[in-house]
Amino acid sequence: MFKKVLIANRGEIALRINRACHELGVATVAIFSDADRLSLHVRHADEAFCVGPGPVMRSYLNIPNIISAALISGCDAIHPGYGFLAENARFAEIAADHGLTFIGPKPAVINAMGDKATAKRLMQDAGIPTTPGSGIVASVDEARAVCEQIGYPVLLKATAGGGGKGMRAVTKPPELPTAFATAQAEAEASFKDGRMYVEKLIVNPRHIEVQVLADEHGDVVHLGERDCSVQKPSHQKLIEEAPAPELDPAIRDRLHDVATTATRAVGYTNAGTLEFLVHGDDVYFMEMNTRIQVEHPVSELIYGVDLVKEQIRIAAGEHLGFSQEDLHAHGHAIEVRVNAEDPENNFAPAAGTLSTVVFPGGPGIRVDTHVYGGAIVPPFYDSLLAKIIAVGRTRESAILRMERALGETRIEGVKTTVDFCRQLLGDPEFRAGGIGVGWLPAFLDRRAAAV
Amino acid sequence: MTEDVIAVRARALAGALAEAGFARLRVRDGDTEIELRRAPSTVPAPLVPAAGPAAAEAPATPAERRADLIASDVVGVLRHQRPPVAEGQELEADRELASVETLGIRNPVRSRGGGRIVAVFVTEGQPVEYGQPLFAIER
Repeated sequence: MFKKVLIANRGEIALRINRACHELGVATVAIFSDADRLSLHVRHADEAFCVGPGPVMRSYLNIPNIISAALISGCDAIHPGYGFLAENARFAEIAADHGLTFIGPKPAVINAMGDKATAKRLMQDAGIPTTPGSGIVASVDEARAVCEQIGYPVLLKATAGGGGKGMRAVTKPPELPTAFATAQAEAEASFKDGRMYVEKLIVNPRHIEVQVLADEHGDVVHLGERDCSVQKPSHQKLIEEAPAPELDPAIRDRLHDVATTATRAVGYTNAGTLEFLVHGDDVYFMEMNTRIQVEHPVSELIYGVDLVKEQIRIAAGEHLGFSQEDLHAHGHAIEVRVNAEDPENNFAPAAGTLSTVVFPGGPGIRVDTHVYGGAIVPPFYDSLLAKIIAVGRTRESAILRMERALGETRIEGVKTTVDFCRQLLGDPEFRAGGIGVGWLPAFLDRRAAAV
Repeated sequence: MTEDVIAVRARALAGALAEAGFARLRVRDGDTEIELRRAPSTVPAPLVPAAGPAAAEAPATPAERRADLIASDVVGVLRHQRPPVAEGQELEADRELASVETLGIRNPVRSRGGGRIVAVFVTEGQPVEYGQPLFAIER
């Protein structure tokens, strides 16, 4: 096992990793920007280094300063969390060059999965179903030819893309040139990589993803699926749950099988997530995320497995220590993302000082957060303030618990998604289960029309 | 930087202000410059060394004296000059004061002009972080 781990992240995930390390008897080193000097992740770590000013390029993405902090504090491993450098193969390589273990998959696998078009081709080769589409298309003309072949509507996607950037839906041929140009420009600006590919647009699919764990000795298990279909128009997830409600057991089994097969096929190690689109009886591989995900707690709560600890154990070369037969899901878990953003104003991010912070508690409630009363929400980062997770024996009991928990939550000083998510939980369609990714945008449209 | 963030940074620098015994302290941080001033009633007697060229001149009153903090802009290990820069030393112009070694790369720390070294906050081989005060220079 490692002696000391540098946590190359901030916010709730930095605290989450800190907790896992301390439970394993591993010392921790936090990094922080000037703007996060008073953050809880700094206070909880055994040591902490300021690595730069507020803007991420100079702090949380500052590879030399982060590696230097790990070396001068005597760390033997780095946990990247999610976002920032988590899926940066170059960072993983540099860490290894300096004798530091990167807690995640091997750089070559990060690279292969990070390039969406490559990932899709690898999955096709392994017999994994993917959405009909193309390889890289160099021009609008090439894109047009593919679109005519697979039929509209289509999705233009940046191969380096993520978080909805560099992505455009095209429903009719005349929209193609403008959509192609804007998506490519956005990809160029966001990822310095403007390569595009085309995919058949599956209308209102469910977003269902499968959590996997793979050790470095060839053992692979899955920890079931999560339903992340409640997405903002920007494709950012807002509410996640496990297991996926109202899902045909045959499809569920197929997803799990496909996920473990794909994990083995690409030689994946550590924790990972395979995202699928589910439409009727059809299942399509979308992408593989080579990191711990924001919504990992819902899987942890129903499987009783600490995924972050498993990541660390796997990276240290340990065996999984359990097989698929040992893993059983119990009950239902649901997560609400408490973001510092205004649901009444297109989820515009908010910054400021939190005057009041009261989180819920009681049976079946877990809160992962880095904020407290008086904490500052800097303008530089992701707007996630907290994740509230409720677990119950049934979906209904988990939802009732979440409604109760959100009612207890008081956050003042910035606008948040708390009350909005409570409204969503009360919606009859959500309550019935099995909604698609188009549900929340339609909910917002209905609400806008009613005003 | 937002006001909140500046306030956090200023609070972190207040320790260095107290240690240097100065009434006003200025630090440049990327695009931002922060100037800290002590409330007049809390200004201690000046900590000017008895010896040294400046001691002969009547020192300005503490409230008027101003020091610039030279902070590290990288994370690494501090390497002093040989011989190391010492408190009380006069600098005629901009010069290298020390360096911070990051992954084998030497990052020079410069005085950004002349003045008198009034505080050296770091020792040879000490790990330093971004924004950590290294020297205070009276201008």
